[in-house]
Amino acid sequence: MVIDSQLMSFFTAGSLIVIGIFAALFLDNLIKKIIGLAFLADGVNLFIITMGYKAGGIVYIFMPNMTISNFAQNASYPLPFALVLTSIVIGASTLAVMLGLVIVLNKRHGSLSASKILGDKGE
Amino acid sequence: MNELIAVMVILPIASALFLNFLHEKDRTIKILAIVTAFVLPVLALIAPFGTHYFGGYVPLAQNMTIGQDLPALITNTQLFQFHPGIVYIFNSAQQLLIFVLCLIAFLAIFTSLNETKRPSGVYAFLMFMGTASISAILLSDDIFNLFVFFEIAALAQVGIIVASGIKNNYETALKYTLLGNIAGPLLLLGIALLLGLTGNVNITDIIYSLKHGLVNPYSPAILMALGLITFGWMYASGLPPFHTIKSAVYSKALPHGAALLQAFSVFSMVAIGIILLRMFSYIPFTKTAIIGISLLAMVLGITMAIVQTDFKRMLGFLAVGELGYIGIGLGLGTAFGITAGLFQAVNEAIITAFLFIGFGTVLYKTRTADTRKLGGMMFVNPRLALLVLLAGFAMAGVPPLNAFQSKLMLIQASLQSGLPELGIIMILLSIVTFMTFMKAFYTIYMRPKPADLKILDNKIPRSTIISMVVFLIICVILGLFPQLATNSLQTLAAGLV
Amino acid sequence: MSFYDVIIKRIREIQEKAEEEEPVTNVTASAMLTAELTLIASLLIAVVMIRLIHPILMIIMIIVIFIIALMAMPIMPKLRQEQNDSFNNMIFYVIMALGIIIALFYWGNLNV
Repeated sequence: MVIDSQLMSFFTAGSLIVIGIFAALFLDNLIKKIIGLAFLADGVNLFIITMGYKAGGIVYIFMPNMTISNFAQNASYPLPFALVLTSIVIGASTLAVMLGLVIVLNKRHGSLSASKILGDKGE
Repeated sequence: MNELIAVMVILPIASALFLNFLHEKDRTIKILAIVTAFVLPVLALIAPFGTHYFGGYVPLAQNMTIGQDLPALITNTQLFQFHPGIVYIFNSAQQLLIFVLCLIAFLAIFTSLNETKRPSGVYAFLMFMGTASISAILLSDDIFNLFVFFEIAALAQVGIIVASGIKNNYETALKYTLLGNIAGPLLLLGIALLLGLTGNVNITDIIYSLKHGLVNPYSPAILMALGLITFGWMYASGLPPFHTIKSAVYSKALPHGAALLQAFSVFSMVAIGIILLRMFSYIPFTKTAIIGISLLAMVLGITMAIVQTDFKRMLGFLAVGELGYIGIGLGLGTAFGITAGLFQAVNEAIITAFLFIGFGTVLYKTRTADTRKLGGMMFVNPRLALLVLLAGFAMAGVPPLNAFQSKLMLIQASLQSGLPELGIIMILLSIVTFMTFMKAFYTIYMRPKPADLKILDNKIPRSTIISMVVFLIICVILGLFPQLATNSLQTLAAGLV
Repeated sequence: MSFYDVIIKRIREIQEKAEEEEPVTNVTASAMLTAELTLIASLLIAVVMIRLIHPILMIIMIIVIFIIALMAMPIMPKLRQEQNDSFNNMIFYVIMALGIIIALFYWGNLNV
């Protein structure tokens, strides 16, 4: 049986999203929560990349010896790749901000437990 | 001349980056920040209406030099019509909304530069960056571009909270970022589903695909995308269940920061709400959901506001509650209702900023926000107390101030749509809003001063008072001549029905 | 004992159970009472909108909600407790809301 690689990628993306939400919801350690959120973002990125896949497609670079119609029929879809690049950059910067905040809070409270640091004392 | 449309976003970003480099050069920062902040609302007024294609990538159908040699494979399909690049649309409604946003940004920056001991380039950077991203969200016709600026706005908001130095602000900032990192990727997932189905991220093209049967408009993936985008919308605007974190965010920012943050929420709510209506108004459940969420926001926001003892938190919850009025206007779905909702958004952004800066003077004089410890502020500065009282009247919808006009329009719109219950709830909650405000006003200003309350000897900066007077003047002008705002908003509203 | 006293007594009981340090002043109690009445009134008025689906369903819902509201009377102290600043609470409601929204949009529309 041949496994459809696109379908498997969608499945992986879905699992990453579910694992991410699970980690953010149930794990108490802030670093683990953040790793979960990174999983969530990566799952979505993988989902977008997978959508651009075209079975038997060619790279979307127009080479001199190609005809337009051949290129238009066979090239895979470039837009998702461009979007994912931006999305990864955004993900990295928010990840940095979250980790930075965790460093400050860890110094202040001496703990990484979400229920201790992010409890109801913020009022 | 359409380049001016892009300048509205590029100028604040450029000056933000530049201010960041000017760290510790106080005088230069002050002058540069005020000049740029002043140019922004002016720019919104003078920029011509139209469409800006980034990089000059117009649709192939309009670009005959490239368009004519293409094979029929492309020219016979909709690909020929679609927008290949990022598109910004600027019309009368966007002009009014961006003008009000930039005006609030100007007054907030103006106040902050004079209230803080030393002007900080980094703080000005955050404020400009937030303003730029919300302007971009209002202008953008590209849903992925909207997502990018949605994330930048979230980061700028986190920065404004962290910069405040109020107790426990880091905790609130981390909570807000963590929740944002659930809502952000899920919004992106919604956008990805739309991209996968229609092959497009341009909103006009997505609508074309949906309306002309290029994709099945009731396909499960579209419905899923609608749900996910609605979820992102709730995070950006602070509708329930995000109302607790959003009100905490306002209360952990400095008063001028909070004034700007609530304007960000109001305008991102309007921008994404308009996009939801543009794309999905053919699904009847969209409007029902918008009304349901808004009702929940109103009821939960205002009832939670009454029971607060911290006046900044109370204002935060009131700001969230008032968002519900905008949502109801949008959710009614009639041209009149949407105009009323947008007009309410303009008014609310102004009035809440007015209230935050007004109550901020109490914080400036006493360094406490706990209403149980405050009192007797009326005798410290009666004129300021009067200004704050007028702001409260404006929020409750007392004529001749502006929210009276928009709330009246909203109630009329709900009656016209055959939902008088919404009108009754809006009147009821307006009364309760007024009561909440009067409770805070009484405890802070009118009751005898508690013996242990220390009032600092620092003078309220003149810039704060000027900002409040400017807000009051706008409230009165829009209250007396509502057509100034509604005329600009009608075209957009009529296009959404 | 009047209705007002009953509500204040219930609020005190709940605050004692929650071990809140702040004293029950007149202002807190009347604020809580206003919030309570606003909440129930808006809920009942909002339920009237079910008439658009079916009038009889609306009458049944109003009666049911009225009875539930009377039995669970001081709702506001509990509701306030639920809407606190604890991150675990927030994220729980966020994920709940996500689930409800997706379910409503997905199944609410497929059957239209």
